[in-house]
Amino acid sequence: MISIRHLHKRFTVSDGVVAAIKSLDLEIAEGELFVIVGASGSGKTTLLRCIAGLEVPDGGEVRIDGRIVSSDTPPTWIPPQQRKLGMVFQSYAVWPHLTVSQNIALPLAEGLQRIAKNEVANRVKEVLRLVQLEEQADRPATLLSGGQQQRVALARAIAVSSRLLLMDEPLSNLDARLREDVRGRIRELAKQLGSTVLYVTHDQVEAMAIADKIALMQAGELLQVGTPAQIYHQPNSSDVADFFGSVNWLDGEIVAAGVADSPIGRLQVESSAKSGDKVRLGFRPENLRAVDGATQTNGFDGKLVSTTFLGDQFTYCAEANGRQLLGKNRSLPEQRDGIIRFAIDAADIMVFPRRET
Amino acid sequence: MTSSRLRSILAGTQTSSALLSLAALPMAVIFVLVIAMFWVSVQKGALGTPSAIYTLANYYEVFADPFIVGVAVNTLIFTITATMVALLFGLPVAWLVERTTLPGKTLLYAIMTLGLLIPGIYTAMGWTLIAHPRIGFLNRWLVDLFNLDQGPINIATPIGMGFVQGLSLAALAFILTSQMFRAMNPSLEEAARVHGMGFAKIIRRITLPLAWPGILAAVIYIFTIGIATFDIPAILGLGNRVYLLSTFIYLKVHPQGAGLPEYGITGVVGALMIVVAGLLTLWYSQVLRQGHRFEVVTGKGYKPTLIPLGHWSLAAWAFILLYALFSKLLPLLLIAYAATTPYFVPPSMEAFKHLSLTHFYSMDWELVLRGLKNTAILVAVVPLAVLLLAFALSWLIVRSRSRLRYLLEFAAFLPQALPEVILAIGALLLALFVIGTSIPLYGSVWIIAIVYTVARLAFATRALNGSLLQIHRELEEAAFVSGLSTARTAWRILFPLIRPTLFSVWIWTALLVYRELTAAVFLAVHDNITLPAVIWSYWFSGSINKASAVTLLMTLVLAPLIFVAWWFGRRSQVSVN
Repeated sequence: MISIRHLHKRFTVSDGVVAAIKSLDLEIAEGELFVIVGASGSGKTTLLRCIAGLEVPDGGEVRIDGRIVSSDTPPTWIPPQQRKLGMVFQSYAVWPHLTVSQNIALPLAEGLQRIAKNEVANRVKEVLRLVQLEEQADRPATLLSGGQQQRVALARAIAVSSRLLLMDEPLSNLDARLREDVRGRIRELAKQLGSTVLYVTHDQVEAMAIADKIALMQAGELLQVGTPAQIYHQPNSSDVADFFGSVNWLDGEIVAAGVADSPIGRLQVESSAKSGDKVRLGFRPENLRAVDGATQTNGFDGKLVSTTFLGDQFTYCAEANGRQLLGKNRSLPEQRDGIIRFAIDAADIMVFPRRET
Repeated sequence: MTSSRLRSILAGTQTSSALLSLAALPMAVIFVLVIAMFWVSVQKGALGTPSAIYTLANYYEVFADPFIVGVAVNTLIFTITATMVALLFGLPVAWLVERTTLPGKTLLYAIMTLGLLIPGIYTAMGWTLIAHPRIGFLNRWLVDLFNLDQGPINIATPIGMGFVQGLSLAALAFILTSQMFRAMNPSLEEAARVHGMGFAKIIRRITLPLAWPGILAAVIYIFTIGIATFDIPAILGLGNRVYLLSTFIYLKVHPQGAGLPEYGITGVVGALMIVVAGLLTLWYSQVLRQGHRFEVVTGKGYKPTLIPLGHWSLAAWAFILLYALFSKLLPLLLIAYAATTPYFVPPSMEAFKHLSLTHFYSMDWELVLRGLKNTAILVAVVPLAVLLLAFALSWLIVRSRSRLRYLLEFAAFLPQALPEVILAIGALLLALFVIGTSIPLYGSVWIIAIVYTVARLAFATRALNGSLLQIHRELEEAAFVSGLSTARTAWRILFPLIRPTLFSVWIWTALLVYRELTAAVFLAVHDNITLPAVIWSYWFSGSINKASAVTLLMTLVLAPLIFVAWWFGRRSQVSVN
């Protein structure tokens, strides 16, 4: 549905030029809910705006549905009006001087499509039903709550094009409770309509929850593209691992195939790294298990430093051989004489080459 | 690649290059006017023809002439006086409005901002009737009272004219400094109070040092306007042979008696004024930038604690009313009196018995109607042209992210740096010596329209900038993405949202065009005379009463419009904030 090759975009700022997107390639399949996630300033919104046609790339090619919408050779440029896509903005961009139904009708009646009047009314009714705003149809848009305005923006985007929807941090102005509810509905609606959705967010939890596929963006480049599970369990770098939740990192060295030395002892790992390689070993807090018995693989002793009760679970800080480790569990680990026996599965340990500093 | 680069220069979004060419148009006009000025200043002989001699002789002549040096000194004295008087009234009133519990602030705002719309020539004419050494009634009263040989007060001196100019500029000083007081974070003063400082000490050690960049910027701004102002010095000084640079240039262009116009000398003085105005503007923008360092970012909607005035409110209002009396009321009353009295004598019960409408019958109605027609054309055309160009400039400045916008911002600021006298003379020289007869611009109302449009652009652009900044750019982008063309987006989304500002800018421009004298006096000949220029020609030829009668007519039209301007100005402010 969307195909991007060698996309470049630079911005001129007061003290020089910043590369917002550096030679980026991306493929998004039809019907996919694709999330681009990254910290602020990573270039993710710029990428979205290049696809929408709100930003002119400095180089590279963007295709939508096989059609080249922007390219440097030969110079091609399709303005946003002709790209036939729906977009939901971070600020919602609901036009404040119009009513809810006028907001949806305006692009249909006066946009490129020029749909006939009675047809417009039907379409407006239909999309308002989809987002459950039929009763607010004739209210001024500014009198709606934030959540309702967000739905107006969604309805307008769907009305223009439900085939391809671009969403720029659509939930960031909603309060936390509403956010979970709305993101579920967005996914539901997208699947119901068979839309391809490109969704930009800075929130990794939101990304995990809604995506078919995630791309992590950093400093204008895509670090990894994959399903939420792939990205979480098989990150291709420590940066990716860090972005999707906390990680306990240990510096280590491979001493034999599948065996590494670390500050907390000798560990079995699943890695093809060669003997003598300096590595970074990492495991997530929920994979730090308290166990019975002394003979577990990758077992070591530690003691509890501090605990935090979060309602549905505990997080705690443990100390092993002078190293502080973060743990997470539904119950606090049992102690015997102030000592806890911990273990980590070899499959849960991520191994990355260590960059010499 | 090149076309892609060009587009990214434009706006990043799909911007029609029509906007850019609209924005470039006034820039080109200003550029050409300035060039024309410098070009004429280095010529002798038959200017603008192949036989012209290129030389710096005009410059030598100007610098060697003690008379011109005297005129320059007069200008300096005049400008300093005007700036001081403007701040003397403007600054305290601004402080009273923004920082105290003074009652009746709405009325005060109306008095001060609408003061900008009352033409300086009214004030100047009124003050001639008050304090001219020969005809001024105050002098006549004092002469009778103390048996003097001559009137003790002379308004037709650089200091006297500076005083009147200052009264007229006080409204501007008020607006500039009240903005500064509003932008100042009151918690800085509160912090001083909490830590035990007294009122006087806070004013001296906190308020004034913080306000200083703002005050200095206002001083430079007012000084820049004062140094090239024409209308007030012309009304007060020309008849009495007291010259400033601006009125001196006028005489060189429109020599009295048998003299010939000296365009070369005009070009030199104009060129020098451009340089001075340019330097002052540079200084101004530097001071403004430094002033921003002091601005502490605050959340919106903070409320400054107001200083309770108590009984001092009475004194404050007395001060304000004194200003209103001096600057507006008294001059207008005297103009009304002069318009209805057969010949000007100091007001007395005896004189009031002879009031009549004789001047309204005897004035040259053909001339007045011709002036009215041209003024009507200008009022119809100029505000619309200003809105169109200012919108193009403003949209590019606010929405574009390319470096081009700095250039446009500078271009929009240029008319502010270049006084109307300069624009008018530039246009005159351009029409006479560059364009010549190929386009019949000289003597037509369109040359005046062009100068007015360029001159009003800075104000309009700034107002629209402020308004456009309030409109989230995503509102437009949402329209683009959903298929609305650029024109339709402007029409259906942008214009409805900034309508109050558009209207407010339109009516202010219309009123300022209606009352504008300077450019018209320089450029008007026979066919293209405007209403204020009619007043001027009566006044300059000594028909004080007829001039007053036309002024009274003009004011009767102006008054309801000023009310409309105030009404909508208020509303647009509400919607913008």
